[in-house]
Amino acid sequence: MSAPAIKPNYGIDADRVLAVDSPLAALRRRYDGRFAVDELGADPHFMDVVAPLGAPVRVHVERGENLPRVGPALIVANRGLGLFEPVVLVLGVRRVNGRRLRVVGAPELPVVGPLLNKLGAIGSRPGDVAALLRAGHLAAAPLGPTWLSPGAGEPPRALLAATLGFPVIPVAIRPGGPLGLPVRPWRVLVGEPLLPPSGTEADDQLAAAEISEAARDAVHDLLREV
Amino acid sequence: MKVLVTGMGGVLGTKVAQMLEARPEVSEVAGCDFVPPRRRMHHATFTRIDPTDRDRLTAFVTDFAPEAIAHMGVYEPDARLGPHESESATQMCTVTALGAAARAGRLERVVLRSGLEVYGRGAGAPKMPDERAPLAPTTQYGRMLLDVEAMASDLARRDGVAVCALRYAVVAGSHAPSPLARLLRLPVVPVPAFADPPFALLHHDDAARAMVEALVRAYEGPLNVVGPGATSPWQAVRLGGRVPAPVLGPGWALARHLVTLAGAPIPDHVEDVLHHGRVADASRATDVLDLGFVHPTQEVLVDVFDWATVTPIAESARAEVA
Repeated sequence: MSAPAIKPNYGIDADRVLAVDSPLAALRRRYDGRFAVDELGADPHFMDVVAPLGAPVRVHVERGENLPRVGPALIVANRGLGLFEPVVLVLGVRRVNGRRLRVVGAPELPVVGPLLNKLGAIGSRPGDVAALLRAGHLAAAPLGPTWLSPGAGEPPRALLAATLGFPVIPVAIRPGGPLGLPVRPWRVLVGEPLLPPSGTEADDQLAAAEISEAARDAVHDLLREV
Repeated sequence: MKVLVTGMGGVLGTKVAQMLEARPEVSEVAGCDFVPPRRRMHHATFTRIDPTDRDRLTAFVTDFAPEAIAHMGVYEPDARLGPHESESATQMCTVTALGAAARAGRLERVVLRSGLEVYGRGAGAPKMPDERAPLAPTTQYGRMLLDVEAMASDLARRDGVAVCALRYAVVAGSHAPSPLARLLRLPVVPVPAFADPPFALLHHDDAARAMVEALVRAYEGPLNVVGPGATSPWQAVRLGGRVPAPVLGPGWALARHLVTLAGAPIPDHVEDVLHHGRVADASRATDVLDLGFVHPTQEVLVDVFDWATVTPIAESARAEVA
């Protein structure tokens, strides 16, 4: 096969934010089809194109050094009403760490599902999340929604069982004002990574239950700190 | 090791035969197909046999008595044969070649061509299945492949033969007959109006390399073989400089008819790719077959659109041929 005159993925990294095109160059790139698509439908170039829409959202990330700069990890974070927390987490990680966060839990609905996939979200199937982590990405799985209560929700145990062996990072997110109103910046507090005992293999239910409880407790403690 | 290559006349079968010729573990290569290979073979022998001609195929395989089979006689619908012909040719070739080889008494291992189509894309199916995912094909080609895998599994159970099923992503590249590649090369390509699912491609050189490595290493079990990265219908069409024609619901019946008239019929497994995508986790194959570099999907796509024209033969090569 003759070597094609292209850079891998046209210079776009599916995991890290590199250089961002000017609006005109971005339009030309979309028209020519010179952009990458990843195995779960994410379109990193499209993510870069729409990223400026999040600029007005103020996010303050504490202990961001706990987020890995490379390699896979699963963030477990609290979730309240709607999509605020996942969006804030995506923006916070992108600004502090330069990585594209893959949020777990995109609904499989026409139009909305594919659009969220392009923005990096994936469905909740444990096998798909495990494959994403094996590919070296950073993913975020929300705890069960707690609506207006202050604590951490139910941990996604099946997901944690399928992804055992990868670091789990507890994260607490607090809104900048009541009902997500931008009175103050959103606060994101990143905890220490949790790891199962060495030698644990995927689908070890006991280890999954232990790490689920540890993650919930860690998020709960972080929420009290924030 | 004496290796039988079924489906040797196709691009993939020919590549496999050429690679096997170069391996020191392989002492003899013989193949058959309904069309001859279009590349030069140095030591391998080819016999032209219609895969549905049970008597001739049985006699050929029994006479050769292979120790290993690279079963490439699995015909993708609308690649080289129509949907019905490909189904009967695949079934007859599998039953006859595997059965005759087992009866010949020297068969130790079989590696067969399968595809990601065996996983299907029904409700609840994983988007990125690994080899442990449930098999629930939703297309004719998927069911054909599952049949082939089932027959080979029975052979493994009954005769203790090591069987490996290579579940390929869509195999493509310049000169490889593929209904998806043919569709993408049309000037105007139908694409789903409100979906743009990811699908992966596999270069035929990588597919052939995986077949040879699995055969030489006598790997047992299924393996997903997929190129890294993915593309999507809209991106692929624009990268090729073609015009995407968004199609909705009932419009697909008309679109199918029009592209068939244009010479690129859309079998159901290709339509499934356009609507639901097709990717898989291939980390196990990369590890156990030690494949090294596998062409990324985007490069395979460029190759599909860069369909090489006539390559002039260098003077030195011309003299050698003469």
